[in-house]
Amino acid sequence: MLLTKSRMDAHDRGLRYVAKLLSLAGMEVILTRYRLPEEIVTVAVQEAVDVIGVSCSTGGHLYVAETIQESLRREEAEGAKVIFGGIIPDQDIPRMKNLGVIAVFGPGSSVEEILELISR
Amino acid sequence: MFDEMTLKKDAEDREKWKKAFDRLYPEGFQSETTSGLPVKSVYSPSDIQDNDPAGNPLPGLYPYTRGIYPAQYQHQPWMNQQVLGYGQAEDTRKRMDLLVKGGMKGYFGHHVFNLVLDLVSQAGLDPDDPEARGRVGQVGVHISCLTDLEILFEGLPLDKVNTVFIVGEPSICLLAMYIVYGESRGVSKQALRGNSMNYLLRGFNWDVAMFPPKNALKVSVELIRYCTEFMPHWNTTNLSGYIIREAGASAVGELAFTLAKGMNLIEACIESGLNPDAFLPRFGFQLGFHNDIFEDVAKFRALRRMWATINHDRYGCRNPKSLQARIHTHTCGSSLTAQQPLNNVVRAALQTFGAVLAGTNALQTSAYDEAYSIPTEEAARLALRTQQIVLHESGATNVSDPLAGSYYLEWLTNEVEKAAYAVLDEIEAQGGFIKAYESGWLRNQIAEEALKWRQRVDSGEAVVVGLNRYADQEEKTEVPLFRVDENIERRAVERITVYRQDRDQERCRGALKRLEETARGVEQGRQGEFLMEALTEAYRERATLGETMTVLKDVFGYGYVY
Repeated sequence: MLLTKSRMDAHDRGLRYVAKLLSLAGMEVILTRYRLPEEIVTVAVQEAVDVIGVSCSTGGHLYVAETIQESLRREEAEGAKVIFGGIIPDQDIPRMKNLGVIAVFGPGSSVEEILELISR
Repeated sequence: MFDEMTLKKDAEDREKWKKAFDRLYPEGFQSETTSGLPVKSVYSPSDIQDNDPAGNPLPGLYPYTRGIYPAQYQHQPWMNQQVLGYGQAEDTRKRMDLLVKGGMKGYFGHHVFNLVLDLVSQAGLDPDDPEARGRVGQVGVHISCLTDLEILFEGLPLDKVNTVFIVGEPSICLLAMYIVYGESRGVSKQALRGNSMNYLLRGFNWDVAMFPPKNALKVSVELIRYCTEFMPHWNTTNLSGYIIREAGASAVGELAFTLAKGMNLIEACIESGLNPDAFLPRFGFQLGFHNDIFEDVAKFRALRRMWATINHDRYGCRNPKSLQARIHTHTCGSSLTAQQPLNNVVRAALQTFGAVLAGTNALQTSAYDEAYSIPTEEAARLALRTQQIVLHESGATNVSDPLAGSYYLEWLTNEVEKAAYAVLDEIEAQGGFIKAYESGWLRNQIAEEALKWRQRVDSGEAVVVGLNRYADQEEKTEVPLFRVDENIERRAVERITVYRQDRDQERCRGALKRLEETARGVEQGRQGEFLMEALTEAYRERATLGETMTVLKDVFGYGYVY
């Protein structure tokens, strides 16, 4: 699983928590920062991950989701599942889903919820 | 501290009390502060018998535990230093005007504007950089050229305005830009008032790209060096504990790591030839305030005592202003929840009240919708009203350090101080702050505390009302959501494009070349030209934030610490 965040997006306490608990639960977790969202799928393909998790607390989530969708198409890697976390307005969730995001985990979400989704 | 009779009575009372208490709790009773300091159920004279009264004189007397001024809120309320910023300058100016109209005040009725910049500006990028897509003006105001400053401050009396630019690596750039803007308004740099965060060594909190630690220190020192000589009213550095706390550190960790950071910077300044009594008066602190009021009040008092003692004993300071910790409080955003958001009004009120009890000098009260977005107007106004209610209605400002003398609080102040000194010793044992930083030790300490806290919440041991208890799934409060206009990015790009065309290209290039040369000199440790002067020259020739920061990143490096 790739867990990633923009290199300018400071607050990463939630992301580190998720990374730690997912790896304790037995998942192989790769934690990275990206400069441009195009890098996300490049790394995901390199590392052959099943799930891409993006943490975003500072806007631009629709653009990032769109970029990931396009990149996955281009790399023919549409099998990878995409989830988001962070501060994402409820109103944007339908649009995120249209861009291929399976689920959005906002503040207070538990790792159990994430694990449950991934195992399905 | 207490006479024989008092202590004897206390011992007798304790025996009687213990018999009655033990009937309820035969196995004993203990709780903990959020930092994990064990706490009894009641405190009495014997708990502070060994206190040295010299550690707690009246306010305004060394070591300033009870406050840095003899007259505190009786003389002047804390600054309403509400963090604000979004979109472009014109959008933020609207919010500035709104809050001024609502009564937001600095000292002596001056304006105070605590401006948070968007992440694009914080990364030192112009809005047309590919990395900026989707983020221009989203969580702060975008500032990348003089036009932005002109719009922000139009018509405001610059010598009566206290301006903070919340920005990291580009601290020195924003100050230089502000100086050049001031010149255009006929206000000299000597008259400018405000704060630079200058917090370039925060890579142990979180993985944000920044200058590598040793070069970050050099750039920080450059800002301090320049202001110490030319800008007597400018606060050069804010030692931020708040960001450390928000990353997950306990109150003790917040205190200790902030002081360690400060000491490291002081030593770097001394090494560069500066006299601490000349630059320390312009340092300040930003501390968080969480829900455990007593622990955080104790933390503030411990900080004041430690700052005075360390600067007096270790650095030989004798200027009282070098020994007085001026503190800005930011109520802890991390304590707020997305669930049942109105609960956050209560949390922010508690924390605001606590900060006032602690004697804060400036205060940012979080808005209740922080977990959703930047505040709506209503939420921002309510946050300001929270401060005004505490100021005018609670009576907490009549008496300085009103909790002093409480057996619990005095005991806790000492405990927090002891625990913080122990952490400082641990850092010293590793060879100092930079070693502890680069090795990842500081980062791990914070990560462990953050994980511990989250596990306590997950297990229900730490109750968060509305999240893991009293979490009514039916109760869905609709919170008006603030959205930043997506067109802001397009307009910001237009603005910078026009700005870059409207200048003498050769002179601008020349100024950027001289900036590079000066920066290389700083990087190589050569004393001489001020980096700040090369920067102001570049901005006079209408270089942009992105163009100047590109030079600094090239010279000093830019990336992750780990």
